[in-house]
Amino acid sequence: MEYGKLKNYIDGEWVESQSDEVLHVGNPATGEVIAQVPLSTVEEVNRAVSAAAEAFQEWRETPSLVRARYMLRLKVLMEEHFEDLACAIVKEHGKIIDEARGEVRRAIENVEVAASVPSLMMGYNAEDIAAGIDEECVLQPVGVFCCVAPFNFPAMVPFWFLPYAVACGNTFIVKPSEICPVSQDRLFEMLDEVDFPPGVVNLVHGAKGVVDALLTDPDVAGVSFVGSTPVGKYIYSTAAANGKRAQCQAGAKNCLVVMPDAVLDRTVAALLTSAFGTAGQRCLSGALVLAVGDVYEPLKAQLVEAASRLKIGDGLDEATQMGPVVSQKSLDRILGYVEKGVKEGAELILDGRGVQVEGYPSGHFIGPNIFDQVKPEMTIAREEIFGPVLGIIAVADFEEALAIIKGIPYGNAASLFTTSGKWAREFKYRLPCGNIGINIGVAAPIATFPFAGMKDSFFGDLHGQGRDAIQFFTDRKVVITRWF
Amino acid sequence: MELGTFGAILRFAMDLEQQAAGFYEGTTGGELEGIFRELARGSRKRLSRLERARREMVAEMILESITGLDGDAYGVNLDPEADEAGLLHQAQALEKTFARFYRDAADKMPIREVARLFQRLARENKQREAQLSR
Repeated sequence: MEYGKLKNYIDGEWVESQSDEVLHVGNPATGEVIAQVPLSTVEEVNRAVSAAAEAFQEWRETPSLVRARYMLRLKVLMEEHFEDLACAIVKEHGKIIDEARGEVRRAIENVEVAASVPSLMMGYNAEDIAAGIDEECVLQPVGVFCCVAPFNFPAMVPFWFLPYAVACGNTFIVKPSEICPVSQDRLFEMLDEVDFPPGVVNLVHGAKGVVDALLTDPDVAGVSFVGSTPVGKYIYSTAAANGKRAQCQAGAKNCLVVMPDAVLDRTVAALLTSAFGTAGQRCLSGALVLAVGDVYEPLKAQLVEAASRLKIGDGLDEATQMGPVVSQKSLDRILGYVEKGVKEGAELILDGRGVQVEGYPSGHFIGPNIFDQVKPEMTIAREEIFGPVLGIIAVADFEEALAIIKGIPYGNAASLFTTSGKWAREFKYRLPCGNIGINIGVAAPIATFPFAGMKDSFFGDLHGQGRDAIQFFTDRKVVITRWF
Repeated sequence: MELGTFGAILRFAMDLEQQAAGFYEGTTGGELEGIFRELARGSRKRLSRLERARREMVAEMILESITGLDGDAYGVNLDPEADEAGLLHQAQALEKTFARFYRDAADKMPIREVARLFQRLARENKQREAQLSR
């Protein structure tokens, strides 16, 4: 077992959980167990919260320039361990090594942006708001924050939050995905090496029991979450009921609209990455292609041809273009959706079921699946599948495409492929989706921008990353001054 | 060997530079030693640049599959036991082949910063080839 039994990191120490409940972490390509993760107890959560609360006062008084230097040291360590970290992500999640490198790069970007906290956290003021009276607004840290992370970007997602929270002077607890906890464990080795004061950063492994303990603890000021819509709603409402701030980024059903004037070969390459990158297990994955007018037939033909050539295999092999899905449970769920699509009358024009990868008999592999003749009311057109399944809907015009997207309850991302500035402008202006791509299939915001989301894809008001993160992790205090 | 991903192309380029550095470093003594040592240093530097590009220029939103680039088309046969004329000829062939690879790979690369790097490396290979011909 390459990574052994994982420990919690509480109050600056690695501590073994006292819990009897342990889950196995498997490599999705080989089926081999690579680690064991404990489902920590409520007492262990309480200890982490106490340590974080205890550390808060001294940490918030630490000058922001000094806090920024911790970020700079962390960046250096992450660069040094870049390849190890990327490999750990592949082993726990199954995504291909390029995607894992992209994930680590985005995590580092967030640390880089958070290192600008001395500027980002500056307030503002105005003289003479009444004669002889001045007013200022200062940004202050709030207290203890936590995040509940998903399996699909196990290294990056906690880093949408942790660097900003800590750089702003808060203390932090990460509850990693219990399915993919290894890369976060590796990152905490680096955080330990950076040598934050005890209690500033904490790691508690576990599942729902840990989340509930965090959500109800009066010393926790706020929670950041990324995951499914039902869980996002639960976390948002529970956090609110307990007087906490919350930002919950949730599910998606993203549409890719292709206009007749699109540059077809480049568009097909972008659609493939969108639909089948990370084996479709990301909230920015394209799930439905809306082919407008005459583009439908040639697009369909090219898509199927290109998707059928994708090389499926172990993500550690640089030649692999699509890795396995994360678990047998995920695979079974995806296969269930494929069957449902067939039953509901969609035409499976590329069948990825039953894919075998030589030398990997226990891997959770499935090839790309493409459905034609999809109708907006079908289950596969409405529910998030979180796997390599793409549906094609032929639409008459741009307005019909927009109507379909607006009818979907999610609003995470949407992309348009066109050479027309007019259509591009209409698309980005009118759609109720948080992340818009124009000739981009994966509209993933860089760290200086918020990872947006609307409708059932986001609960809260301030998003992860960038300036939104600074706002989320600070309070605004207004001071009005008059001198006699 | 089809090079169908960003990582596969970068890995292949890094292997080429490693091969070049090894070849140039393996030649000791004789008239070529000075220039080969310089070229080896250059290859090590190029290797570092490629490693850095792989780490820093990866962009999730455009990690698109790549088609039509076959690593087998850029093989070079190197015989370190050859005489000086043979070594010089091999070095020139190596630089010419690498320049062709980087030009072809630049055309296929969806990440523009990396495409620019490849174009720069191709230009350097032409300069190195010219240096060997003097």
